[in-house]
Amino acid sequence: MSDHNLTHNHEEHEHHEDNFFSKYVFSMDHKMIARQFLITGIIMGTIGMIMSLIFRLQLAYPDMKFPFLEGVLGHWAKDGKLDPNFYLALITIHGTIMVFYVLTAGLSGTFSNLLIPLQIGARDMASPFMNMLSYWFFFASSVVLLSSLFVDGGPASAGWTVYPPLSALPSAIPGSGTGMTLWLAAMILFIASALLGGINYIATVLNMRTKGMKMTRLPLTIWAFFVTAILGLLSFPVLLGGSLLLVFDRSFGTSFYLSEIVAEFAGGIERTGGSPILFQHLFWFLGHPEVYIILLPALGITSEVIATNSRKPIFGYRAMIGSILAIGILSFIVWGHHMFITGMNPFLGSVFMLGTLIIAVPSAVKTFNYLATLWKGNLHLTPAMMFAIGLVSFFISGGLTGIYLGNAALDINLHDTYFVVAHFHLVMGSAAIFGMLSGIYHWYPKLFGRMMNETAGHVHFWLTIVSAYCVFFPMHFMGLAGVPRRYYANTAYDQFNVFVDMNQFITIAAILGGAAQLIFLANFFISIYKGKRAPQNPWNSTTLEWTAPVEHLHGNWPGEIPHVYRWAYDYSKPGAEEDFIPQNIPDAGQIDPMEEAVGLPEPSKKSVQEPVMA
Amino acid sequence: MKIVKLLSKFTLLVAIAFTFTLKLSAQSAEEGKTLYNANCTACHAINEKVVGPALKDVHKRREEAWLIKWIKNSQALVKSGDPVAVQVYKENNEAMMTSFENLSDNEIKSLLAYIKAESETPAVTATAGVAVPAPTAGATASAASTDWDSAINWLLFIIAIVLTLIIATVSKILGRIGDIQGKPVVNWNKTNSILLLAFLIIGLGATAWEFWAHSKHTVFSSGSASEHGAEYDSMFMVTLIITGIVFVITQVLLFWYGYKYKSDGKRKALYYPDNHKIELLWTVIPAIVLTILVVRGLLTWDEMMDNKNEKARNIEIYAYQFGWNARYAGADNKLGSHNFREVGKVNALGVDTNDVNAHDDVITNELHLEVNQPVDFAFRAKDVIHSAYLPHFRVQMNVVPGLPTRFAFKPTVTTAEMRTKMNKPEFDYVLLCNKICGGAHYRMKMKVVVHTKEDYKKWMKTQKVLVNKKTANASAVALN
Repeated sequence: MSDHNLTHNHEEHEHHEDNFFSKYVFSMDHKMIARQFLITGIIMGTIGMIMSLIFRLQLAYPDMKFPFLEGVLGHWAKDGKLDPNFYLALITIHGTIMVFYVLTAGLSGTFSNLLIPLQIGARDMASPFMNMLSYWFFFASSVVLLSSLFVDGGPASAGWTVYPPLSALPSAIPGSGTGMTLWLAAMILFIASALLGGINYIATVLNMRTKGMKMTRLPLTIWAFFVTAILGLLSFPVLLGGSLLLVFDRSFGTSFYLSEIVAEFAGGIERTGGSPILFQHLFWFLGHPEVYIILLPALGITSEVIATNSRKPIFGYRAMIGSILAIGILSFIVWGHHMFITGMNPFLGSVFMLGTLIIAVPSAVKTFNYLATLWKGNLHLTPAMMFAIGLVSFFISGGLTGIYLGNAALDINLHDTYFVVAHFHLVMGSAAIFGMLSGIYHWYPKLFGRMMNETAGHVHFWLTIVSAYCVFFPMHFMGLAGVPRRYYANTAYDQFNVFVDMNQFITIAAILGGAAQLIFLANFFISIYKGKRAPQNPWNSTTLEWTAPVEHLHGNWPGEIPHVYRWAYDYSKPGAEEDFIPQNIPDAGQIDPMEEAVGLPEPSKKSVQEPVMA
Repeated sequence: MKIVKLLSKFTLLVAIAFTFTLKLSAQSAEEGKTLYNANCTACHAINEKVVGPALKDVHKRREEAWLIKWIKNSQALVKSGDPVAVQVYKENNEAMMTSFENLSDNEIKSLLAYIKAESETPAVTATAGVAVPAPTAGATASAASTDWDSAINWLLFIIAIVLTLIIATVSKILGRIGDIQGKPVVNWNKTNSILLLAFLIIGLGATAWEFWAHSKHTVFSSGSASEHGAEYDSMFMVTLIITGIVFVITQVLLFWYGYKYKSDGKRKALYYPDNHKIELLWTVIPAIVLTILVVRGLLTWDEMMDNKNEKARNIEIYAYQFGWNARYAGADNKLGSHNFREVGKVNALGVDTNDVNAHDDVITNELHLEVNQPVDFAFRAKDVIHSAYLPHFRVQMNVVPGLPTRFAFKPTVTTAEMRTKMNKPEFDYVLLCNKICGGAHYRMKMKVVVHTKEDYKKWMKTQKVLVNKKTANASAVALN
């Protein structure tokens, strides 16, 4: 589009020298910001995972003492016994970190930043400065959240959903004091980061596509990031509002969420007139789209990885766009399925149930399209491809249990049990993490100009998928026995004690899975310095990012930005010599990039030129 | 002789006095036990730290007067700057103890008497109380096996780490060799495709084994104990079958394609970007299947939620950190009105004793139901959100401060029948908290008993009504 201006800007950039700070710290280059998001996300993810291992130890061995814990946690684990209040803190911060810091910022932040400009053919984001701010707000938010681990009373402990009154009354539980204040501060900073990023992504996708890059030629990754950004932009402000009201209730004596509370920790003030359920509505108005903010980028990455490595066009490109849009729109009218048993009007429950189950249709379409893409493909089972296949498997396993939980009547006995834990850890946790890992393995050459060790990647995949299934699949049965989530121990209930062996099995599997991530971490960080140099287009992919040089440049392409002549999925096209035709290669006779390529979907026409690398 | 007589008289007197005091203290310890089980076990045990500290010998550590003040309102004591109180508060990570202002001094004294008695008995028998793991043979055996298992598990853990290290080294070496030879040592494409197939087979096998091994622990194995639960279970099974079929088909296709269509370096993939008929087909079929599930779900949901029954017995379920109360409406089947401002003053639940409807209300720490008698639960919370969950009855409803919620249902299986059915003579129904509410959330429960009609009547007769009729009448007369 406005190609010439951008080229001009790019030339200006080359004139000023980069010092350490402007290159690595306060960088405005989208590729560097992507790396910053990724590495921060990985660090946060590691912390979140270690927390999960600590509380898994408690769940598996409720009667045992682990003296090393006292060394790590101090007074929160006197004599090596985890404090029940700190257990709640751990699950709360684990959830917060995983949902927001890893799977929102770490996933969307990394890949939207890296791929949007590179795949649409832009020199950088619409506003590189806002992009930098987005990262630094995220960084500040991470620091504030982690600092809450060290305050008196411990970090927030009301669950990652921080329902008031538990979170609204500072002395309701130890973690509701300073820890909760810091949690809210971190969340407000995080929302600022998400909004700055989201506006930028939307503006970039809409305005800065290269010549010939119609919306219907965008790779599905971009469609996914685009819809994700819109979801975030529309839903995060609601959480911001909800959090601010919670701050008022906590600090200024208002009663938005409080009513008829007589506990001594209410501080002697009669707090009446509010509704605790109001917060849940505000929270889940973000909270449910948030699930798709996490999942859509992972699905977008999977679409790209599966098509590339099957050497086949993604099946039903338009249906895939349609289902992304449908999921995006529907995600705004289903939040109430988290609240079926809060006592809300049963009719309202019916409406939310209907919306929830409708969402299963576009999800099913996506799954079938993935399967159809694999069918009669020529599969290159790279680590990225394996993780993408793993994602589809988790998406099926976890998605199907959503049909139980979305059904208001069935939810009565499953709500807040381990069945829910199993469901969302499979469909949102494992699936999205697999999408993220798939993306890391696939675009590592683009991120760092080097290749990761393939063998280590495969070992990492197999250990991770086996342990993830071993951890989360058995939890369904605990849920069906009525074991509630967020219990410090099941020892008080005879009928839950039968799961002691299962809990130990799960913990062992979790530790194994954790150890497998060490392989990944080593592979990731060592390859930055010692990996094999990446070739220009290691996966023989059609999309534009692989036409940019391996070395990172300000402005991405040294010369003119390539024009786009075709959609992103011309793999194994009959008549073509190679099994892929990059998007910047014109068809015979095609002069204007906006023209529809000659003979696109019909396999009969053999009018394809020999592909030439740009 | 006189002295001897006198002495024997005196001895007799002492003996009588002694027996009397013994009896007295035994009585108060008995009362203390009830109070202890109702109010303390969510957070405390005698011999071990639970959420709060172990209570053994607490009568030796602190003055009785201090203890009474502390139990009634620990926070006030902390705020007043009492050094001991501040120290205890700090030692327990600033977790606040629930206040028990509705306990009288005498009740607290008998509580302390019980704790004293328990402290003095050997540890094995001192584990009385609902929340402490029952000292049955089974529990001891399982504890022993836990220790044995854990040794093995630690070994497995170490083996896992060692294996990881070996794998890392081997993969590094293989990579080096591959570099030297110019082609990778392991053909990962082939290896992965075989592993995908193996994973599918083992995975499906493991899933089947899971169903075989763990279904018996689920609440579905013993059937539902309520009327709507039968409908619930049937709908659950239908959903299970439908999703089960979809699960197997899609997973098989996914991994089978992964195996079958691996690249062999010669074949070219099929260029097949679109087929509107197929896409339409697999949009419409899920839509139809889901419509069936939605319609059934909506009907059931409506039925469960709109379960008004004139004959239903009204019971209020009251939740607080960390325990439950049940309030029965009594003969008039009308619950007396309540005011949250009165909670903990006249009575623990803030029930208005001037309301005639409240006079025959009965407040208990256990939930007793009559089989085949519909009940209508009204839920009320004192402090934060709780959730009343009765898994065996397929009942759950949040308990929200300031927002009345309700759930009506009909229990159909007595505790005794369920015990025979499950072949577990010690089984009890339970109502447990299922919404995170603080440190002792995981121990916040109430025993549920379903009686036959006769047994229910018998039990009800033993319960104390809120306002004794005679005294109420007397006071009414006096007022007149």
